[in-house]
Amino acid sequence: MVSEALSFILQLLIFPGFLFIICLAFFSEWVLRKFVARIQNRMGPTYTGSGGILQPFADFIKLLGKEDIVPAFAERTYFTLTPLLCLTLPLTALFILPMTGHRALISFEGDLIFLAFIFTTLTIMVFLGGFLSGSVFSMVGGVRAATQLLGYEIPFLLALFGPAIPASSLSISKISTWQAQNNAWGLWTQPIGFGVLVICLLAELELLPFDIPEAETEIVAGWNVEFTGRRLALVRLGRDVELVLASTILADLYLGGPQQVWIIPPIIIFLAKMFACLLLIGYLKTLFARFRIDQVLSGMWKYVIPAAMIQFIILKLIW
Amino acid sequence: MIKKSIWIYHLNTGGCNGCDIEIIDVLTPFHDAERLGVKLVGSPRHADVILLTGPITRQSMEKAINAITAAPDPKFIVAIGSCACGGGIWYDSYATVGGIEAFYKILRERGVKPPKVIYVPGCPPRPEAILHALAYFKGLASKKIKKRVFVEK
Ligand code: SF4
Repeated sequence: MVSEALSFILQLLIFPGFLFIICLAFFSEWVLRKFVARIQNRMGPTYTGSGGILQPFADFIKLLGKEDIVPAFAERTYFTLTPLLCLTLPLTALFILPMTGHRALISFEGDLIFLAFIFTTLTIMVFLGGFLSGSVFSMVGGVRAATQLLGYEIPFLLALFGPAIPASSLSISKISTWQAQNNAWGLWTQPIGFGVLVICLLAELELLPFDIPEAETEIVAGWNVEFTGRRLALVRLGRDVELVLASTILADLYLGGPQQVWIIPPIIIFLAKMFACLLLIGYLKTLFARFRIDQVLSGMWKYVIPAAMIQFIILKLIW
Repeated sequence: MIKKSIWIYHLNTGGCNGCDIEIIDVLTPFHDAERLGVKLVGSPRHADVILLTGPITRQSMEKAINAITAAPDPKFIVAIGSCACGGGIWYDSYATVGGIEAFYKILRERGVKPPKVIYVPGCPPRPEAILHALAYFKGLASKKIKKRVFVEK
């Protein structure tokens, strides 16, 4: 009993828990930066560590050492709370996604709903943090984040719950196990849903075609314009963890998640799938220019929501 | 740690845009300052190094002071171009403060502790010179020029 509890705590803190996820987040930021740089014919970070691999970590440590400013007009509580929640919410979500085996660290029937809840809460935290940090730019950024939510929320949920229908379960671990065992990856059985989910995750992560809440060239740095020092470090780490979360969702719900192939352990297969999704996201991010907020809303309602619904109807007809 | 990751904020205080284009040159693929961990940020709140161009016109002075005080410590200023270093050809114009030294005098009068400054002269300086200044932060390169004050008779 005691050893069981101990091993659970170790799993929670080290592998595949906290420490592993943080390292993975730094590593995936480096991969993304290097990949984007290579597409743009640049080198990317080179001199920090071998091949610049320590660059995200160096950024993090540097930000921890900087002065911590709370603007005079900011709401102090929320200004402190937002960066913390920006990091903890995606971390919590990663605990319920299977990474090393068929079962996630914490898994229960209905954790898919919990995941959807976390995503919406994240956007609302972004909105609150932007709105209450007392700067015009951050206010505009926060409002834009909330407006964008109206566009991508519905197709996101539809695409998220699509894989649950053939597996007839609302537990992520069961869905990915079902897909791995029946060799029916979501990518093949419901390709439209996969596309919709990728688009909505790009919007959720505020990556390039949808980086409207952060639009550097229009509203400085959007909702995180007033964050400095430790707070900014947490926000940025949270973004990286969210990146891992997005690729993990794609890998688990649509690519079968961790599965044993021949003698290769599941974690290797999972990491390969996750990084494939990460590179897909990075590729789309580099390829596009930013949309306007009205273009995003009308595009989402005109094309993406109908596509998600059609996928749902097809699924219902088949299964 | 600032040596490993330098986030720069670009502050134009009334320059002719020549220097600014050279800064863009540093960041774009040919010179690619991201190799050194340099990143352009939009907000002075995120910045470590402020790249200041232009002779600091009286119009832009208040905003420049706001931006500099908004940046968190430890911060540095790189004065880019003859204008920022000493006023350039506008050193005695009524419309400009006239370079970073006169600007620092005003900052001290207002009780703001002025950050350390690195000079990059030239009109405009070559992108290599700006990269040299950034590499000087990292300890990769040494100083090239000495200070010499010219007094008009
Ligand atoms: S130093 Fe020369 S190029 Fe730079 S802002 Fe002044 S006049 Fe323009």
